[in-house]
Order: sequence, then C-alpha cells, then structure tokens
Amino acid sequence: MKKYKSLIILLMVVFVLTGCGKKNTSSSQSIVIWHDKEDAVIKVLEKHLKETVPEVEVTFEKKTGLTESLKLVGNDPSSAPDMYLFAHDKLGVYAEMGILSPLTDFITKEELSDYIPLTLSSATYKGEIYQLPLYFETLLFVYNKKYMSDEEVPKTTEELYKYMVSKTKYGHYGFVEQHSTPYYAVGWVHAFGSDYISSDGVPLFDTEEMKEALSYHKKFVSLMPGETEYATVNTLFLEGMAHTSIVGPWFVPSIKDKGIDVGFAQMPVVDSTGEPISPYCGVQGVHVIKVHAEEKKEAITKVLKALMSPQVGVDLALSTGAAPSRLSSYENEEVKNNTLVMLMRQTAESAAPMPNIPELDPIFVVAGNLLTDINMSGMDIDEAAEKAQKKALELIGNMR
Amino acid sequence: MNKKNLRKKTLIAYAASAPALILIASIVVFPIIYTLYISLTNMNTYHWFNYEIIGLKNYQRALTVFDSGFFSALLTTILWTVVNIVIQLIIAFIVANLLNSPLIKHQKRLYETILMFPWAMPGYVSILLWKTGMFNTQFGLLNNWVQKLGFESQRWLSSDVSAFICCTVVNLWLALPFMIMIMDGGLKSIDKCLYESATIDGAGKFKQAMVVTIPCLKPIIGPSVVITIFTTFKTFDVIYLMVLQTGAQTGAHIQTIITYAYENAFITNNYGYSSAISIIIFIMLIAFSFVTSRRKNDDA
Amino acid sequence: MMTRKRIKTISSKILLNLFFIVACAMALIPILYALSISFTKDASLLSKDFTFIPKHFTLDNYKAVFTEEPVPLWFCNSIFLAFMTICLSLSTAVPAAYIFSRWKFPGRKGILKALLLLYSFPSILSMFAIYKMMSNLHLINTRIGIIIIYAGTMSVFALWNMKGYFDTIPVEIEEAAKIDGCSDFKIVLKIVTPLARPSLIVTATMVLNFVWNEYIFSINFLTGSKNETLASGLYSLQATEMSGSWPVFAAAAILVSLPVLVIFFFSQKYMTSGLTSGGVKG
Repeated sequence: MKKYKSLIILLMVVFVLTGCGKKNTSSSQSIVIWHDKEDAVIKVLEKHLKETVPEVEVTFEKKTGLTESLKLVGNDPSSAPDMYLFAHDKLGVYAEMGILSPLTDFITKEELSDYIPLTLSSATYKGEIYQLPLYFETLLFVYNKKYMSDEEVPKTTEELYKYMVSKTKYGHYGFVEQHSTPYYAVGWVHAFGSDYISSDGVPLFDTEEMKEALSYHKKFVSLMPGETEYATVNTLFLEGMAHTSIVGPWFVPSIKDKGIDVGFAQMPVVDSTGEPISPYCGVQGVHVIKVHAEEKKEAITKVLKALMSPQVGVDLALSTGAAPSRLSSYENEEVKNNTLVMLMRQTAESAAPMPNIPELDPIFVVAGNLLTDINMSGMDIDEAAEKAQKKALELIGNMR
Repeated sequence: MNKKNLRKKTLIAYAASAPALILIASIVVFPIIYTLYISLTNMNTYHWFNYEIIGLKNYQRALTVFDSGFFSALLTTILWTVVNIVIQLIIAFIVANLLNSPLIKHQKRLYETILMFPWAMPGYVSILLWKTGMFNTQFGLLNNWVQKLGFESQRWLSSDVSAFICCTVVNLWLALPFMIMIMDGGLKSIDKCLYESATIDGAGKFKQAMVVTIPCLKPIIGPSVVITIFTTFKTFDVIYLMVLQTGAQTGAHIQTIITYAYENAFITNNYGYSSAISIIIFIMLIAFSFVTSRRKNDDA
Repeated sequence: MMTRKRIKTISSKILLNLFFIVACAMALIPILYALSISFTKDASLLSKDFTFIPKHFTLDNYKAVFTEEPVPLWFCNSIFLAFMTICLSLSTAVPAAYIFSRWKFPGRKGILKALLLLYSFPSILSMFAIYKMMSNLHLINTRIGIIIIYAGTMSVFALWNMKGYFDTIPVEIEEAAKIDGCSDFKIVLKIVTPLARPSLIVTATMVLNFVWNEYIFSINFLTGSKNETLASGLYSLQATEMSGSWPVFAAAAILVSLPVLVIFFFSQKYMTSGLTSGGVKG
C-alpha cells in the first residue's frame, strides 16, 4: 500500500516536471486577445477574423480584472497577451508604463483617415495612436413605453423632475440611474460646464460649477433608490419598476431578452444652463502589447487590417447597437436605418470623450467617494467638495 | 561533548526543517525584503521599468498618509479584530462542543459538512451573494422579510454602525467554519480520561469546560487563532466589496488600515510610495504584537 | 428516576438537533439563494419576486456550464494543483513541525515567532514581488511555479498548526519506541504521523480549500485558457454590467464548492485521533 502511494507521488512529480517543460509554444501566427466584452461583440470579431485571415489563429480570452492583470504581466513574454480589447481610457497608463506599441508601427496614419476624428483623438496619447477604434458608445436616455409615450419624453430636466415626483411611489420610480457612480453622474457635471478633471490633469472638484451640478443632481437623487450599483438599477428597469433610466448599449440585449417595449431618446437639457446631460463617450478598440509586437508583426498587422474592414463596424452596430468608428460603415443601409445606432453616434459625437490620462484612476475613486458622501451619506456639498479636491490633489501628487 | 552534541542536533534540526523554511522564505519573506527595496525606489507609472533608488523620499511623503483618517481606520481595525475574534471564538467553541455531544453522534457528519459550506465557496462569490442577495435595499431578502413583518425597509449598509454589523455578520459567516473545524479537531485530541477524573472530582459541565476543555484546547488552537487574528486585522475584501467598491458604494465610511492604504496609496499606481506605506504598517503591526505579547507575559 | 433521565436525554437530543438545523439553515441562506438562481431561467441576481423554490425550474444553466465552458479541464487543473500543493506543503511542513515541537535548539523560538509576525504583512504588495521573483526564475506560467507559491503561502499555517498538535502528543510514546530501537525517522513516520492524523487532515483540507478557491494568483501567474482552474474560470464567468449571465455563474459557483464538501464529508471519518481510540496502532 505504502509503496503504491509513493509510486503515485513519484509519477505525479515526473508528470509535473515534464508538464512544465513544454513552454508556451506560441507560433508567430497565433494571436491572443484579452477582453472583457459581451459575447455578441466577440462573436462578430471571431467570425470575421476566421473568414478574412484564416491563417492566423486568433484566440479571445475573457479576463475579469484585465486592467490590473496587465500592469503585472504586461511586459512578461511568457504570459502577456498579444493584444487586448478595452475602452480607450486606460491607454495612457499603459503607454506611460511602456507596455504598448503605437498603432503606427503596423498601419500608416493615412490608412486611418476614414475614422471619425473623435475616435482617433481618444486613441491618441502624447501624440501617438495606441488603439485601433472599433466602436464607440455613450449612455442614452431609455424609457419604458408601457409607462411613457414618445410625446411624454422629457425635453428638460425640470420636466423629468416633475415626472419623477408624480410617478415615484408604491415601489415605482419615475427615473433611476447609477447616481453615485462617477461614470454615470459625470453627465450632470458636464451639463454645468465642468468635469472631474481638466485635460491637463487638474482636478475640478471645488469649482462652483461642480458644486452647482452636484446640488442640482441631488434633488433628483432624493427620488431614486438608495443604491447606486448597476444590479439594482438595471433590475428596477427590467422588472418594470423604473419607468426611465440612463443606460449603455451593453444593456440593450438584456432589455430585448425581457421583451420590454422601450424607446431611446436624447438626454434632457438642464434648464438653467441649456446644456443636455452628457456622459462620457467611450471608444472600444484593440491595443497592441509591446513584448510580442516585433516577432509577431506580420500576424498582428493582418489582424489589425482585418478589423479595419467597414463590415466589422456594420456587424457590430447591428448586433449590439454601438456606433462604428469608421465613417464608411455608415454607408450601409441597415446601419443608416437603425435608429439606435444613429442616435448613439449623434449623442456620442457630442459627448466628451473619457480622458485617457493616467490621473483618471485616482480621480474616479475620489469622484465616487464625493458622490457617495453627498448623495448617500448626506454630507454638506461644500465640505465634501473641498475634501475631494484636497484628496485628488494629494493622490495625483503621489503618483510621481 | 555536550556542546558538540548540541551543535550536531541544531544542524540536523535545521536540515530537516530546511525545505519548509526555504519555501516560507521565498514566498513570505522575500516579498517583504523586495517591498523594502521597492520602497526606496521611484517605481511608478512613469518609471515602470527604469526606476532608480531615491532613498527615503517615499517614507517622508508616506508620513502624510498617517493622518487622522488613518488613525480612525486603525481604531476601526482594532475594534473589528476584537469583535470578530471574540464572537468567533465563543460561537465556534459552543458549536464545536455541541457537535461532539454523543447525543447527535449519527447526524454529526452531516451537520458539520453543511456548516462547512460557506467555507467551500470562493470568498468573493459569498460576499457578492450577501451584498446583493441579502442586504440590497430594493430586492434583498432581509428587506423582503422586514416588509413582510410590516416594517419599513432599511438601508443596511448606509450608516457606519449598521454597515459594521453587517460586515461582521458576513465575516463571521465566512470565518466560522474554519474556527469550528479547528476547535473540533482540538476537542478530539483531548484525553477523555481527563473528563472522567474531573467528573469524579464532582465538576459540572461548565466546570469541566473551564478546567479541562479550555486549558487543553489553548495550545492546540493557539496558532490558528493567532493566524486568524492577523488575517482579520488584514481584512480587505469583506469591507471593500461590501461598502467601498467604486460604483457600488453604500454610503458608510468604515475603513480598515488596508482599505485606507488602498484608497490612499495603491490607487495611485505608485509602487515605491505604496511599498513605503506597507512597510510602515508592517512595522506598526510588529510593534503592536510585541506590546500585546509582553502584556500577556505580565499577566502570567 | 430512570424515565426522568430518559426524558431529559430525549429532550436535549431534540434541542440539539433543533439548534443545528437552525444553524445549518443560517449557514445555507445565501447558498440557497444562489442555488435558486442557478435553477431559474434568465434570472438576474435580483428580483422582486424571488423565491427559494424557482418558479421556472431549469437545468439549462448547469448544462451551459458543462457545454459552453471547459469545466473538465478546469477541474483537472484544480485537482492537480491541489494534490501537488498538499504533497509539497505537508512533506515539508511535517518534519519541520515535528522538529520545532520536540527539539530544543538555538533559534527555535525566534523562528516560530518570526513566522507569525511575517504572516501579518499585507499581501496586496507581495504578489508583485513574487511575480518578479518567479519571472527571474522562469517559473511564470508553469505549474511548478504556482505550486511553490501555494505551498509557501500555506506552509506557515501548516507548520504552526501541526506543531501545536505534536505538542499535545505525550513524549513517552516515542521514548518507548526509541527503547525498542526505532530511528527518529521511523518514529515520525510510523508513530507520530498516525497519531496526528486529525491535524494532518485538517491541514490538508485547509490547503485543498485554499488552492481550490484561489484565483488572484492563478489568473496572473497561469495565463492562457488551457491553464485555467475552477476558481479562475469561475472568476472570468462572473457577470459584470457589460456581460455574463448570473444563473450560469451561480450554477458554476455551486459546482465549484461541491467537491470540497464531498471530500470534507468523507475525511471526517478519519478525523478521530489515534490517541483517544486507544494507544499506538500503526
């Protein structure tokens, strides 16, 4: 009995050692792409790559917590992916770290002339383009037609407020959003002409516009549930408890699955400033990791070129409702007639692109705390804003 | 002769424990030394690969983190550790003793296995289930029940005190299985003769527990308890995921020193600076445990 | 008199059982919640009409876990890592624990104390350092690398836990064996280890559970889809706002937990100590 045991253990050890012997035998024709996107997007990309570049073996790997992993493995030849598919807002961090290859190593700038300028400028950090934009998206005003007719859609925030006051009762909500989540709340801040951070990296939490925006926003928050996380907000809408909301295109499939009759509309305009609520615009695209860029240049270039096809944009738009980044994708009749896609493009193009500077990481944490302090803990706005500004400056100072 | 013997014995002792010590040295000790080294460099987003030694500058800056916010976090952490450990020990002791009652000899394995379930689930799944399944204000089971009883639904995680209690409940739920298992293993190793002689001496159940069980249990479970104390002190995910995660905050402001360090240092991607803070916290922990262990010796 | 005692016994038996039924129910509430979601079609994590017994019962989510995800592969990877980690950590920790428990030698107390203190180092940063070290040793993306990490992480616990148990075993038994002519090595293997069986099993179960549920190291140190373990695979299944299905995730979470429980259930039989069951048996 004992002998067998040790024999098994010995065999296992041999197995491990030999198992470890085989290194990652990645040929120059295989490409690994990390992502955290919905299945619909990946299906479109996989299908298209299989058809146009069958000789390159492309594997999409879904990675939860991709952004943290890349910081660790981004420079390690044995474990880094070849590319990753993500929004543009992290590329500044990785470009500064030096783990990204500029897109122009593979594609000339002229070849990108057909791209919507907004998407290219979002992909640019310190003069270099680091992302091949695939599609861009922003948040839209969505309403459940069971409760709100097309004519009733509020044009201004005061109209929305009136609607909220009259409908928020018996467990129903006139309007819900992820009110203390920075990505969602920034739309209100933009409407007051402010932002969390200026383009050159100065936090703007203690500006008058910011305080005004936050205090105006709070009036609406008081008629919303005391939870800000997406599960609650989205479920309220899906179960017909919330009449209207603000959602991204990724939420559209869930709405379709539930069979809710919904309409999408432009964001309401804030009465006092005349500006609409305008959240960030995010550009989703692929980035090339530096470690394998040299040896796999040919395969990477092929994949990038294949992804540049206008048809990719068309398929993505029709399956997810996102707006393609290539102008020529919009020549397709079906895309032209898709009201959601066209609305998305129109809204997103007028929205502020999310900053891609490294300072965004700490700023989002501070903004989240600020919103929570005001909306959920009931802290005084001036006091909270001052505290946030101090913290933001301190954190940014500590980045270097 | 004696000296030679001792030297030989020491040599053999170290040789036999070398594999374990090397393993621990590389996985537990090395990171600390490396962190100490990084804390002296300017490794951050802008110098990710080409960092250089900048001396004690990070420590100078790190001292600003140790402000009033940090000290309130430290107090919270101490309170958190004490509350959690005390409740854990009491409940685990009672449950483990009851599990060993001869009256439920046949059901014991089933009960114990079910009680282990929380421990078999990955921690982040459990925390998520608690946060959204139980404590959610709109849909959570707790509010569901509260409403059925005719009360107003509550925002469980929005005020500091109730969030602290909720986090404690979740932490207990996560940690109790381990403690029960350790206690159960310990109870089984106690010589039954000791109880018999105690009974002969006329000791009741309570007295038996005080005179036999606890003293016998102490050395066996001691190390596990100490390790649990440290793990509780280092708590991050329970509190962070329950109340602090960006985009899912609940309005409570409970911070442990680790979540505080996370929000004030790690988030900046400045590894040199974060390392300095980690080292300072580590030194504080060591000092803290020296103080407490000395006090214990005084008592004895 | 006799009957009174019987009544007392029965009533305390009922009380005890009641106590454990309530305790088990409390332990299971969130898990039943997950279970119910996993059996429901298209459920979200939240719903106003949640019931513990699903209204639209389906096994599709479990089917999806098996057909859409390479669960057998994850399972094999997890089993393999867990088994090797248990072997490595126990085979290194048992001799060390024995020596630290039985022998007095310079440095013993210091090392024991230091081990516990070192354990208090916040682990958020140690991952980074370990990555650097493993990367220099070319052990990133190898199984042996992650086994070393797991075993190293658990060995402080293993060492302390077993040392504590060895301390309770009377030295007399060993001395008797020594007089009979047993070597030190043989004493550990043939006498002490069997006596310490409960502690060995507790330690092994802890290691198993740690490896089984550990995902942070494995997603960073073992990248690539063919290396995924149950925990890291489950983590990537996690639903986010953008994608994923809660029912499938819940089903996977339940499935991941079950093997550990089954192993725990069967190992309990061996948890009775060699000591109390009478003297020294092999």
